[in-house]
Amino acid sequence: MFKKNAVAAGMAAFASVALAAGCAVADGSKDSAVDITAMSADELAEHLIFETDSFRDQEMQEGGSWRDRMTQDELQKACSMEGDPDGETAGRVVAMARAGYERPEGGVELGDWRKGAELANSGFGYRQGHNTDDHGQREQGGNCYNCHVFDPRVSEQGTIGPSLQNYGANRGTSEAVLNYVHEVISNPHQYFPCTEMPRFNSDRHQLLSDEQISHLMAYLLDPESPVNNQ
Amino acid sequence: MFKKALLALPVAMAVGAAAQAGEWQDPNDVLQNLLQNNPDSKYLHQSEMNIMMMPDNPALWLVEEGEDLFYAQRGPNNVSLEGCDFGKGPGELDGAYVELPRYFEDTDKVMDFEQRLVHCMKELQGFTSDDAAVGQRHGNGSDIMKLTTYIAHQSSGMAWNPPLDHPQEQAMRDAGEKLFFRRGGAMDFNCASCHGDSGKQIRASVLPQMRDGQEWTKAVSWPAHRAGHDNVRSQNHRIRGCVWQMRHAGIKHDTPVNTALISFWNDAARGEPAILPDLKR
Ligand code: HEC
Ligand code: HEC
Repeated sequence: MFKKNAVAAGMAAFASVALAAGCAVADGSKDSAVDITAMSADELAEHLIFETDSFRDQEMQEGGSWRDRMTQDELQKACSMEGDPDGETAGRVVAMARAGYERPEGGVELGDWRKGAELANSGFGYRQGHNTDDHGQREQGGNCYNCHVFDPRVSEQGTIGPSLQNYGANRGTSEAVLNYVHEVISNPHQYFPCTEMPRFNSDRHQLLSDEQISHLMAYLLDPESPVNNQ
Repeated sequence: MFKKALLALPVAMAVGAAAQAGEWQDPNDVLQNLLQNNPDSKYLHQSEMNIMMMPDNPALWLVEEGEDLFYAQRGPNNVSLEGCDFGKGPGELDGAYVELPRYFEDTDKVMDFEQRLVHCMKELQGFTSDDAAVGQRHGNGSDIMKLTTYIAHQSSGMAWNPPLDHPQEQAMRDAGEKLFFRRGGAMDFNCASCHGDSGKQIRASVLPQMRDGQEWTKAVSWPAHRAGHDNVRSQNHRIRGCVWQMRHAGIKHDTPVNTALISFWNDAARGEPAILPDLKR
């Protein structure tokens, strides 16, 4: 319930609040004799992840190890609750997200909507484990179709996020719209704190390149794009 | 035509009866009851075809094969699995599957079903990790999936009831709940990103809601024949698939992270009857 109108809420609160999510692993010991019942649930969850050899030792596509990928940043910690964030958390998350955002030098531009369509409909990339995506073989996609309907003529689109059909037709391509959409794709928590939507270019990491994001924006906003011709 | 698998059952079938903890029911009857009681669940009703196929669920073939394997004398030690204690005593399978994970004194830890099965195959039968019997975890051809399907079938229709009496059981369940909501990985997902709302879709798949016990009991009812894979799949295989989609790191077999997740997700279906084996998209 807080999501959409929380943007202005609680902005001031952000710096001062201590995080509840614990990462104090009991004693860092790998000894199986460690007493798991002496830990809080948060401590035990962190212990299980980092001290029990539960993950495959693989190199992540964005660089680093499984340990880096599974280590939470502040935003992930703040959003690890059930349900929507309270006002204070929402404000803190929005502030964090804004602090980490950078507009591209020279402003936001639209790329090629055809390439954007391919990226939006590709779920390739960053998967790890039994079947690891090799970015050297194929470009990573945006996974957008898992959650959004862009073009009902394309089958099998998800509904976790809102339909983006006619997104540009309804909004135009003013500078304000371009900036907003770039901000949402880069780090949607600037507007939707603790949203399910991933951050595609944030201070944590860049999952899509600036160029890829410009293509996705064209798919959404270019008047020629099938998204806007329905 | 697959019905003969059912004849092997030690327990009389309770046809169409309402879910009673402790009472065995044919998996199709369990499903039909769930469907009737939840006419508005998009998740439960999403595949007309799978509902129609349920009485001839191909997973029932594995029940039979698994039974043969369970009682066969196998491994370097040439013994059957009748000495294996899944929590209700050696060889006691009725209701054992729905009461896992649980704490085992002999290992001093909470173990999930597959972990316990592998433990017995190693300790009793003498298999090692290099043997295909325990090394191969997935697919209709694997011993593990045959045994899993046979053993799970002995709990069909019984209510999920993983014990929480031992402090370690409660601790693992609570940690599993934290893991369910822990945002992480390359795309910031937690399990609730996709299983927090009813009736939402990832592409064509309607997703189950974890806090809806009647959706969730079907969600965690594995082993299930997965039509899209044409193979029977386990709870562990499902976790592997979701973690892969989540862009977290790959989880290893028989590890505590896996066990904690299963401790929580079986607990989230507590009191609801299990469909064993199920049939999924
Ligand atoms: C895991 C699901 C998910 C994925 C993947 C996803 N989104 Fe979203 N998206 C959402 C949700 C949910 C919202 C709505 C924000 C909210 O309320 O949390 C949203 C909002 C948006 C909005 C803002 C809509 C508005 O009201 O102005 C845009 C634009 C958008 N997404 C574009 C994209 C693009 C482009 C991609 C792929 C690069 C993408 N999304 C991937 C879930 C997702
Ligand atoms: C990015 C989205 C996503 C995330 C995050 C996710 N899942 Fe899933 N999950 C799915 C999809 C898609 C299915 C398949 C549903 C279907 O085919 O009907 C599924 C299926 C399941 C099922 C079985 C239901 C069925 O009918 O197949 C369970 C149980 C489950 N997930 C648990 C989890 C757990 C536990 C986590 C966290 C470790 C998790 N999921 C995270 C997308 C996700």
